[in-house]
Amino acid sequence: MAGKATPLPEAPSPGAGAPGPSLRALPSRNGSIRVTGLEHTYAAAGRVTKALEDIRLDIAPGRFVVIVGPSGCGKSSLLMMLAGLVAPTAGRIVCGGRALTAPDPDLVGVVFQEASLYPWLTAQENVEFPLSLRRVPRAERTQRARDKLALVGLAGFEDRYPHELSGGMKQRVSIARGLVQNPPVLLLDEPFAALDEQTRISMGDELLRIWEQTGKTVVFVTHSLTEAAYLADQIVVMSARPGRIVDRVEVDLPRPRTYAMMGTPRFAELRQRIWEQIRSQADG
Amino acid sequence: MADTAVRRPAGAAPALRIAPRTLRVLLGFCVLVAWEVLPRSGAIPTLFLPSLSDTLAALADGAPEYGRHLLFTLRAIAVSMAVACGLGIGAGLLIGSVARLRRIVQPLASGLYAVPLVILYPLFTAWFGIGPQSKIVFASLYGLLPCLLGTIAGVQTIDRQYLLVARSLRATRRQTVLRVLLPAAIPTVLTSLRIGGALVIVGVVVAEMLTSAEGIGYLITRSRTLLDSPRVFAGILLVVAMVFAFDGLVRLLDHRTRHWRLSTRSGDGGA
Repeated sequence: MAGKATPLPEAPSPGAGAPGPSLRALPSRNGSIRVTGLEHTYAAAGRVTKALEDIRLDIAPGRFVVIVGPSGCGKSSLLMMLAGLVAPTAGRIVCGGRALTAPDPDLVGVVFQEASLYPWLTAQENVEFPLSLRRVPRAERTQRARDKLALVGLAGFEDRYPHELSGGMKQRVSIARGLVQNPPVLLLDEPFAALDEQTRISMGDELLRIWEQTGKTVVFVTHSLTEAAYLADQIVVMSARPGRIVDRVEVDLPRPRTYAMMGTPRFAELRQRIWEQIRSQADG
Repeated sequence: MADTAVRRPAGAAPALRIAPRTLRVLLGFCVLVAWEVLPRSGAIPTLFLPSLSDTLAALADGAPEYGRHLLFTLRAIAVSMAVACGLGIGAGLLIGSVARLRRIVQPLASGLYAVPLVILYPLFTAWFGIGPQSKIVFASLYGLLPCLLGTIAGVQTIDRQYLLVARSLRATRRQTVLRVLLPAAIPTVLTSLRIGGALVIVGVVVAEMLTSAEGIGYLITRSRTLLDSPRVFAGILLVVAMVFAFDGLVRLLDHRTRHWRLSTRSGDGGA
């Protein structure tokens, strides 16, 4: 069965229950991301607009990086470029040691903003969808999708259609779909933006748990400072038009992160620092 | 029974509350009763409206003939429906997903849709004869346009996110069309199928009424010329039955694809 599937020891071993602290598995393909001199300009209404300027990123495998910035700073465009969905005007993206020029679902999984699930497919079928495009045998794809749904805490919801799931559950399915091909990199574009506060926090915890279990490199775009500080190893702060990286903040809060940490002075300090960066850009 | 939000004065209300379904059946029943009673009582001359029982008797009387003509009509409808819907939906998917093509075809097709195509029918009889071919060509064209236009519009309204997901998964063009565009367009396609299909039936029957030697439409025209009202109405009854059957079929399809429509929250049983 597991013949050609890459042997990823990422699923929790049977019977072991929840793995101990940080049982990080190493993905077989390297999930490093290196972006150099990235630029993006587009022509609209007869004017050439520079959306992104001189973007440099160096993300080590297994890191959780959050990109935060005001709306219109091009952070979503940057993510779309990392997904290979938009071609940069200039610059280079190297992912897992290979130049990235087109979508590569084996290397990069993408979780989009809300409601990107296909409403005519059940949760299980949605997660299987990427595999069925590549003609993975039925038995294997059923099993893999089932495992991923279990990983995101949706065992028992396989046969529900998206409209029968809550907003948080839908995004869990999206995450499972992003993970089903076992890419070493997972990109998330404001995945929890449409959720209410409570769901948002618990989804953040869920994502951290999944990240710790799978050891993926995660790049997460948000406009929420709290979310950024709560989730990240490193926060990349961007300015608006043209989008540039104005700060990189290492988050030294211990893991696992807890809700109580949001009340600590260190957390407030981090938020303050990001906020000032963004505000000074907005004023200027 | 769930209570309605509005509170009515006690007493009078419950007696008046009838389920829409019951009301619908009741309405149909009233029409049938009126159809029987009004001509019989002499309120309406039987030449204008023969009673229901006379109509049914005429239908039973001419059953073999009606059956033969009905078959002819149904065959023409089936072929036309396949052409109109198959071509309309297929071409609509293609045209809707290629922007350049859409800008060329869409204005033409919607302009043509406004033309009463029946004016072309004499031309078709000249080209294809008075047999089934001319009916099929006419009805196909008649039903094709709404199918085509509806599908093009349906493809336009598809959430772009769906296509982005497909692209991020490296779906081929074929996979994108068949597994994303087509299912995503289904609700709109069904609506256009409903309109297109009904027009196909209209097209075939009207064509038969104009120039033909066979079919239900032909029977209706012939009986009218002979002032044989019960037989005219027997034909009309058959046309109505066909339309109802078609509508039921579309409804069934509609039900099977209810998950497409995100807003509806159907119960788990599905029944």
